[in-house]
Amino acid sequence: MKATRAEEHAEAVLAALQRAGLPEAEVYLKEGRSRRLALGLAGAEHQVLVEEGWGVRAGDRRSAFFAAGTGRPEPAGPWPAPQGFPSPLPDPSPVVRWSDPPDLDSPLLTELEAQALLNAVAEALAAELPGATLVEATLEDGSSASTLASSHGIRARWRHRVAWARLVAALPESAPAGAMLGAPVRATVEQGAREARRLQPKALARALADRLAVRARGSLPERESGDVVLAPAVAARLVAALLPLLVGPEARERAAPLVDRAGRIGSPQLSVVDDGRLPNGLLATAVDGEGVPTRAVPLIEGGLYRQPLLAWWQARGGSSTTTGTPAAAPAASARVASGCSARPSFRDLPRPGPTHLFVRPQGGVRPAMLVGDIARGCYLLDVDGPGHFDLAAGRFALPVCGFQLDAGAARRPLAGGWLCGSIGALLRGVAGVARDLAFFPLAGMIGSPTLRITGLEVRAGE
Amino acid sequence: MPFGELDRPALARALAQLAEGPDDLVDAFLERVEVVELPASGEPAGVRLRREEGLAVRLCRGEKSWLASRDRLDAEAFVDAVRQVARVYPRAAAPLPPALVRPWGGLPATAELQAFPRQLDRALRERRVAFPYRLSLRRHRRELQVVTPHLLPAAERESWYSYRVELAWGRLGGLLVELGDEAAEVVAGRLAEAFRAREAPPPESATANVVLAPDSTATLLHEAVAHALEADTLAEVGAPEAARGVRLSEARLDVLDDPAGAPHPVRRASDDEGTPVLPRWLLRGGVVDQPLADQRWARRLGGLQPGAGRRESRHRLPAPRSSYLRLLPGEGTLDELVAQAGDGLYLAEPTRGRLDAHSGDFTLAFAHGRRIRDGALHEPVGPCRIAGRFADLLGKVGAVGGKAVPAGAGWCAKGGQRLPVWGAAPELLIGGVEVSS
Repeated sequence: MKATRAEEHAEAVLAALQRAGLPEAEVYLKEGRSRRLALGLAGAEHQVLVEEGWGVRAGDRRSAFFAAGTGRPEPAGPWPAPQGFPSPLPDPSPVVRWSDPPDLDSPLLTELEAQALLNAVAEALAAELPGATLVEATLEDGSSASTLASSHGIRARWRHRVAWARLVAALPESAPAGAMLGAPVRATVEQGAREARRLQPKALARALADRLAVRARGSLPERESGDVVLAPAVAARLVAALLPLLVGPEARERAAPLVDRAGRIGSPQLSVVDDGRLPNGLLATAVDGEGVPTRAVPLIEGGLYRQPLLAWWQARGGSSTTTGTPAAAPAASARVASGCSARPSFRDLPRPGPTHLFVRPQGGVRPAMLVGDIARGCYLLDVDGPGHFDLAAGRFALPVCGFQLDAGAARRPLAGGWLCGSIGALLRGVAGVARDLAFFPLAGMIGSPTLRITGLEVRAGE
Repeated sequence: MPFGELDRPALARALAQLAEGPDDLVDAFLERVEVVELPASGEPAGVRLRREEGLAVRLCRGEKSWLASRDRLDAEAFVDAVRQVARVYPRAAAPLPPALVRPWGGLPATAELQAFPRQLDRALRERRVAFPYRLSLRRHRRELQVVTPHLLPAAERESWYSYRVELAWGRLGGLLVELGDEAAEVVAGRLAEAFRAREAPPPESATANVVLAPDSTATLLHEAVAHALEADTLAEVGAPEAARGVRLSEARLDVLDDPAGAPHPVRRASDDEGTPVLPRWLLRGGVVDQPLADQRWARRLGGLQPGAGRRESRHRLPAPRSSYLRLLPGEGTLDELVAQAGDGLYLAEPTRGRLDAHSGDFTLAFAHGRRIRDGALHEPVGPCRIAGRFADLLGKVGAVGGKAVPAGAGWCAKGGQRLPVWGAAPELLIGGVEVSS
């Protein structure tokens, strides 16, 4: 395949760095283009951003520098003198065959298309819930291409294509639980897709209307300790709060108090995976920001704690591998690395973290099937705020809204309530997992399907 | 200055073609940013250098704005951005102006950054405290030039430092306008206080008299006055122009945003829209005088003065924000304010603040403070927060200290834009505040 201009430039810079006596060197080039439309009190803001930047880390085995800039780097520098600590670079690993999704090449939305999409959401919202209005709406549609070359022999090129909508709606002159009479109720919905044209205005409007209606008409819950069913938005927020137990070298130690002698941390229904090459994943690529192959890594499998998510350098020093078969669970002491280093921009050094980290869905289980046989409990639709998570004490409280369930049916809307309980009960109480996996941008793409949990409580105060 | 040889008339002529009428707002924003970082010991890559340059072209017409931004600072990028904005109104065709900027020079000097860790160690030793800490340090330099079809403001240059210290019991950070022994004394003082309060229990939740240290005062006023009086924030809850003349606080408070009065390295003659700044009285005698506005809000509403438009980078549109917030001093020393408080809390180290524009609720969190008993400062207390309606709180101000000092310098994030903010404030005595641990 013919080298692109970016690849040729990266090679030229890499060669110049090595000629300058910097044997450990990596050159990263990124270019991107995005369209952004924001509607709000300031009016309609149309933006087209063209970004072009680079990052170089180089040095020797004792020290290093990191330099970044816009445009293209001059091969001759000048480059800073390495100092402090080195910035280790990975060695190449075999990359499993990968084909870019075909929609990476679809054109960005035009200005008129972006405006039409948001107008369609506003119209659908007014039809779903008379009186409701879209008060803020942001639609971003962008694509980027990254090129990487290192002195260790890594040569990689990957692309991203992401569209994201953030919508805020209000229902005036209603009185949610705990709010002043007359204060408007607000609801926010965010959704991503690889291509903006796949965003569904009616579905987005319905999601906003559901949340507004619940908050406007909901009352404070009585103390409710029956089963709770968590919609993906609530479940994903809980998964995100548990990331310290799942990500990084210290995660296993943090999780230890919750793991029994058999290695069990959760119910047999609970499996958590990180997968940088998730089919149809919004940010799926063959390699991560350091050129390390991405893969599916089971973190919790059938309730058993397998391992934390580790980048290649975090897994060094123990029993580790970067080429193991994901399905083959490692022994408790083994540490399997995966390509999980992200580069938020060309300005940043690669940072390990979740790629697509999610509760594995169970095919064939519709969310309604988790609700159907609940004699008394709650269905929690959305989160109302950040909540409190004390992992050391093992407790959490999350502000939520939803419905009280009676004989498998919604009895009344709830608002202003708190989902409370222990972290252990949350993990061990997973009694059902649906198929409707959805992702949210929470410290990486964090996802969950609808979950049914026993042993938690919904109450009026935290 | 890198923009010294800029052919501003050529740029202005190109921009003029975008305007269809006198009400159209057209400008170009050219910027150059350099950040040098010395990360904490043990972190990879012991020196980090980032150099960015780019531009944005903007057209505002009625309720609509168009922005085209580029990560290059050359004539081709400028013409490309003009065409992008003009695509909406394709009659514009821009001539190619000459080069926009001089090339970057050699590597930046870092002597003051390299020296600061030793200065801080020395300042801590002189305070007779010793504990492990990890310091990361950054120097930020930003040069910008705004060009409009009519206005050719001078280029602006800002330079400041940010630091972050990780401790076994927490972390602490802030902004400095310069490094050296004096700055080391400031940081060492904060670290020593944090060290002495590291195991202090939080105060009991109660209604108490509080004396806010200058940093706490500045943070409170940033949340409860500056953010509350930004035109876009006001628009969320009503008509911004109607805020003028409303009593917001006790009559003792005179608060102004004064970018031209800021310390030299961050002093500004014009804002990020090229509009000359003015000493803007936010509160005069406790009454709202002039809310913060940028060009778009000032044109839209009338009666508001522009000059407070700020943007994080070329990739974002400007929005109304404060730069250098000042609370004019009153009378009284710290000892006198503490004596007046009788019993209560002295709150020294703000960690974060938050304002909910819709409800008027705000929260201000503190890492530590001191207990006030019988009109004197006593033992340290641990983390706590104050919360309530900002208008209620500002109405309970009992006294304003007699000496304003640099305070409240830090990062402020709103609407996805993170900006450095500066200030000067004295201590403040507030009676009957809800304190929770």
